[in-house]
Amino acid sequence: MHKTLKKYFPVFVVPVLAAFLVSFLIPFVMGIYLSFTEFRTVDASEWVGIKNYISIFTQDKTFLNSLWLTVKFTVVSILSINIIAFSIALLLTRKLRGTDFFRTVFFMPNLIGGIVLGHIWSLIINGILGFFGVDITYDPSYGFWGLVVLMNWQMIGYMMIIYIAGLQNIPEHINEAAAIDGASPLRTLFSITIPMVMPSVTICTFLTLTNSFKLFDQNLALNGKSAETSLLALDIYKTFYDHTGLRLAEWHGIGQAKAVIFFLLVAVIAFVQLRATERKEIEQ
Amino acid sequence: MAAIQFRNVAKRFDNGKVTVIPDLTFDIKDKEFVVLVGPSGCGKSTTLRMIAGLEDISDGELFIDNKKVNDVAPKDRDIAMVFQSYALYPHMSVYKNMAFALKLRKMPKKEIDEKVRWAASILEIEPYLDRKPRALSGGQRQRVALGRAMVRNPKVFLLDEPLSNLDAKLRTEMRSQITMLHKRLQTTFVYVTHDQTEAMTMADRIVVMDKGVIRQFDTPQKLYSEPADMFVAGFIGSPRMNFIECMITKKKDALYAEFADHIMRIPASKSKGLEKYENRSVILGIRPEEISAYSGGLNVQESCVINAKADIAEMTGGQVNIYFELGESRCIACVKTERKISAGDEVKLLFDCNSAHFFDKETTKAIACV
Repeated sequence: MHKTLKKYFPVFVVPVLAAFLVSFLIPFVMGIYLSFTEFRTVDASEWVGIKNYISIFTQDKTFLNSLWLTVKFTVVSILSINIIAFSIALLLTRKLRGTDFFRTVFFMPNLIGGIVLGHIWSLIINGILGFFGVDITYDPSYGFWGLVVLMNWQMIGYMMIIYIAGLQNIPEHINEAAAIDGASPLRTLFSITIPMVMPSVTICTFLTLTNSFKLFDQNLALNGKSAETSLLALDIYKTFYDHTGLRLAEWHGIGQAKAVIFFLLVAVIAFVQLRATERKEIEQ
Repeated sequence: MAAIQFRNVAKRFDNGKVTVIPDLTFDIKDKEFVVLVGPSGCGKSTTLRMIAGLEDISDGELFIDNKKVNDVAPKDRDIAMVFQSYALYPHMSVYKNMAFALKLRKMPKKEIDEKVRWAASILEIEPYLDRKPRALSGGQRQRVALGRAMVRNPKVFLLDEPLSNLDAKLRTEMRSQITMLHKRLQTTFVYVTHDQTEAMTMADRIVVMDKGVIRQFDTPQKLYSEPADMFVAGFIGSPRMNFIECMITKKKDALYAEFADHIMRIPASKSKGLEKYENRSVILGIRPEEISAYSGGLNVQESCVINAKADIAEMTGGQVNIYFELGESRCIACVKTERKISAGDEVKLLFDCNSAHFFDKETTKAIACV
């Protein structure tokens, strides 16, 4: 068996490896290379060194604004999504009537695509703001909070399912032992329940962090027109496609450099977050 | 230290549709070690959980230390509980697990430390105080669970099948450790098990339950020698008691039990209550260990010699378990014999009527108790 596996190992591995190389690794390496060039197409590039990276902070005024907005958005989203999702999960694991129905209802927004969601919420928010004679582009904070509401609406159901799985993993006897030990429900929540669902917290924080940081289509559909409410991913997209004319190659290079910085930020933050929450996880 | 009283306690689930305990009334004395025993689903754990306050009482009254506790929260009942699954907090060290309840009571740190170390030294878990539960063996975890209960110095100790997850050797060790703990702490212990050996070896008194009803509540010795009915007789003792249908007949002034071509004179001490069963069928119960190998030369007037064919013979060291058919009953005898007995061998077995029990065929109650 082992010998046969060894013999046919390349047959099984090569297709996957080839797909990985062609669709991920080569574009990734080329992307890093292109961030040091000015290019119109991939094979028509001119090496410019770190000029693009300098231009991001000197020439391009939108990047830092988008970065700050993305950080704010990510922090608010992580907190609101996880707190609300965990609270709903707590309620829906109380063996109350109709919990299965509500689990389905809360999960449903997650099945709708980002662009569609963005347009739906654009209609809703603009409909409400219309009563006051303004729309979502009137104030950047409208766009920001609109995006937060949208993201919460979409992600809470998904995170709730993960938290429910975590909560159901806590043996009933543990909660009973805490009740006999004299722990109040609040104390049980903070001293027993939350530490015991840390694996779920790790997963949910990771997912909300990366999804919030990388948010693009909802942002494009909801308030993509406004430069002040463009998150990083949308800002990179705009750097590539909102410019025309002679300096197109230069903007492509700057956009590519932004994408590399974007990748590094997501990777570093996700890694730090995983290490931090994993340390708090427990083995049972 | 507290007595526990059940007064017509009932427990129903599913909005009253399923009755697990119809009507329970019994008293547990202060400092007593009472074991609730019975087959799975008999309601013993539910009874224990009602004492703990983890299950509501549907009807009746429950008193702990003369205080009605029907609506008292578990934390206010001054009880401690040891669970079958240990229920240790996996993210806390052994020390923190044991100190948790004391910390919640805002006990000074120094006092908590003293109590935890006192319990740990008794249970010999001092070297593991900094470890997390996952780094402990099953026996060590169970000792931590006991320690967590001990430090509370509760009025009542509740133990829900605490040894079920341990291997046989460890179970025997822990059994004696819990018995010693009871003697040392001088507290009321209520212990749930389905293992009758645990019940017999540890209890001051045993509650034998079946389908939510107490079949008998007595000392281990009484349960063994004077079972109230066939259920108790069959449940207590291992291997279980043999039950053989027999006819009660009267010849001259003596009563006889006739079964499967055998006749056995019933001694006067056992005849009381049996007279009204003359010419009627009753159930004769005899424990496997009260059947002996017949070697001849005995006065067998109140005994009878059975010629049996061993279907299975199990050598268990000091004795042989012989399985055989007697009429329509399948019986087992645990006999001490020098002779090597194998399956298919003919053996002569001696039934001693002085150690026999008689049960009413319809009610299954012991005839002396009818």
